[in-house]
Amino acid sequence: MDMHAHDRRRFLALTAAAAATPLLAACGAGFGGDDDKSDGSAADDVTGSFDWKREKGTTVKALLNKHPYTDALIADLKSFTEKTGIKVEYDVFPEDNYFDKLTVDLSSGRASYDVFMLGAYMVWQYGPPGWLEDLGPWMRNSSATGADWDQADFFPNLLQADQWSLKAGAPLGQGGQYALPWGWETNVVAYNTDVFKKLGLKPAETFDELRDIARTIKQKAPGAGFDGMYGIAVRGSRSWATIHPGFMTMYARNGLKDFTVEGGKLTPAMNTPKAVAFTEDWAGMVKQGGPPSWTSYTWYQCSSDLGAKKAGMLFDADTAAYFQAVEGASPASGKIAFHPGPKGPDGSLATNMWIWSLGMNAKSKKKSASWLFLQWATGKEHLLKSAITHNHIDPVRKSIADDAAYKNKMNNLPGFIETFEAVVDQTKIQFTPQAQFFDATTSWASALQEIYGGQGAGSVLDGLAGDLADKVG
Amino acid sequence: MSRTTSKKRLLGWLADAALILYFIFALFPIAWMVILSLKPTNELFSTYFSFSPTLDGYRTVLGDSEGIPFVRFFVNSLVVSLGAVALSLLVGLPAAYASARWRFKGSENLMFTLLSFRFAPELTVIIPLFVLYQKLGLFDTYVGMIWVLQLVTLPLIVWIMRSYFADLTPELEQAALLDGYSRKQAFFKVAIPLVKPGIAAVSLLAFIFAWNNFVFPLILTSNEAQTVTVGALSFLGGDRPKYNLTAAAALVSVVPPLLLALTIQRYLVRGLSFGAVKS
Repeated sequence: MDMHAHDRRRFLALTAAAAATPLLAACGAGFGGDDDKSDGSAADDVTGSFDWKREKGTTVKALLNKHPYTDALIADLKSFTEKTGIKVEYDVFPEDNYFDKLTVDLSSGRASYDVFMLGAYMVWQYGPPGWLEDLGPWMRNSSATGADWDQADFFPNLLQADQWSLKAGAPLGQGGQYALPWGWETNVVAYNTDVFKKLGLKPAETFDELRDIARTIKQKAPGAGFDGMYGIAVRGSRSWATIHPGFMTMYARNGLKDFTVEGGKLTPAMNTPKAVAFTEDWAGMVKQGGPPSWTSYTWYQCSSDLGAKKAGMLFDADTAAYFQAVEGASPASGKIAFHPGPKGPDGSLATNMWIWSLGMNAKSKKKSASWLFLQWATGKEHLLKSAITHNHIDPVRKSIADDAAYKNKMNNLPGFIETFEAVVDQTKIQFTPQAQFFDATTSWASALQEIYGGQGAGSVLDGLAGDLADKVG
Repeated sequence: MSRTTSKKRLLGWLADAALILYFIFALFPIAWMVILSLKPTNELFSTYFSFSPTLDGYRTVLGDSEGIPFVRFFVNSLVVSLGAVALSLLVGLPAAYASARWRFKGSENLMFTLLSFRFAPELTVIIPLFVLYQKLGLFDTYVGMIWVLQLVTLPLIVWIMRSYFADLTPELEQAALLDGYSRKQAFFKVAIPLVKPGIAAVSLLAFIFAWNNFVFPLILTSNEAQTVTVGALSFLGGDRPKYNLTAAAALVSVVPPLLLALTIQRYLVRGLSFGAVKS
């Protein structure tokens, strides 16, 4: 999943990178100055008819995060090698430290990995320094890209999420394509069907109902045979990852923005009267229906509590609930259903998302082979196989989402397909793209904790907006 | 029985009870990890102590069934930690001896420079090291890891052993020199045997520090030379947190330092109290 407590280390690593640059230049280490064309794209060098065997005999090196999607990819790598003659060497690192590793690697300017996993938010961090290859020219070159890759088959909002002009505040979907969507997560509500049945509850259609249900479960479930059950699991740790799933989804459904952009200048908008009222309500929901030690909650605790029947609902990534819901995974397996979650006042199902994407190192010396790998890994054949035989769910391609075998597999989970279809068109990155994203959202999470702790929402969010105006604006 | 004796006995019981309470408090995290490592995945989050204990967690960790070669990481940790300590002893003992016996211009500065390696946060040097290691072909190798771990083990060994050598009376070596020993023989045959407890103690400490290091193996290794500290985290997974596997991996990782500590225990106690009373 996407939830990494790497902010401090990432900051230090980047600081170290900045400090190291002149030193290395002085000692002739060639920091970041190895190779590469300064103009145009290496994609232009690929001419003639498309050929999967074009780079036969090459070895591509991949940096991967330990994840079920990765397991599915590794299990199918033999097919790629048979198809292309390209060998893939890979390193897999644990999720909690994956981005530390990737950040150090990219910031060093070395081409130790040709391809790697990243999230859409990381494009905002890795894109401006020029660490990511713009994949647009590769996609547009019919000599480099086979017709069966079928760009139009991707959900457009997913492709757009990895596309950016590298200008703070500029909307996504314009500029370079800095990564390709590979697997994703939409943020919805998953709930325990047993407790809903026992207490006569129905999934919430409005935010007010959600808060009521969370409170009701916390008050009544323990007395109805659900020992220690509380209402709703949402993240609460002091991390950027607290903001982006349920909180940002509900925030966006209420028509709220993180920043307003005027003339390229970003102004924090998390302290508008509506935003303050919403944030107060969210903190109130957690107090009245959330877990007792909420401020330490990451996706680990949230999803585990749903699986352990400690949480009546989970407002988080659908995959977080999915991996608890599959047969034999947890005590709540078979008793977890999915729902899009509350609509906004105007009926909006705007939803925030996380995309595990695949990117290419701008310093790679094997870009043509790397592109063939990315093309294969995000192609229909591999992704369909991974979705059906492994757990590579929430397909990035429409053809897989519509595939009968895939639907048949997912239909075992009540409401999963219906929820996916209800939100897919309205799911996008709801944040304003800017390089300080991780610091800004970590501060936002900290503000949320203060409000939960009893401080006035208005003054806390005014303080947050003031701080961010200096940093981001 | 006199009142004083009863009072003393009562105080003794209270002290024992306090100690037992402290042991429970101190050992609870270990006990919790053992319990966690014995839980099946689907009972992982039950807060009651009733569960069906299983060794599956250990089988998974040691059996590579999650696609994580933990045994290889374990062997890697052993090789690089032992290698780092051995190299540090080889270089550090003569350095410690020399610095304890002779003062020369800049000797204190040299020692403090060495000590400063321990103060500098690893993250401030990790990027240059990463680039250099890539260029020199040391990335993801045993040699590279043993070398970089000198930043951890060498200052420790030099500084602690320096105090041991300083506590040795120079007359012993002078007597050996008068008897015809060379300076090298005096070092190996007189000084070193006398500081053996210290060597045992400092080797154990250095081994533990090297074994526990996280940042260097995270950045400077990949699959080949990755160590347990990084590898154990892989069991948390991207689908569900598998704390039982992480706990099993952590407990398996504790075995070498623990065995080493038990093996050299008698030296350790002597080593830690060595030099407490000077002549």
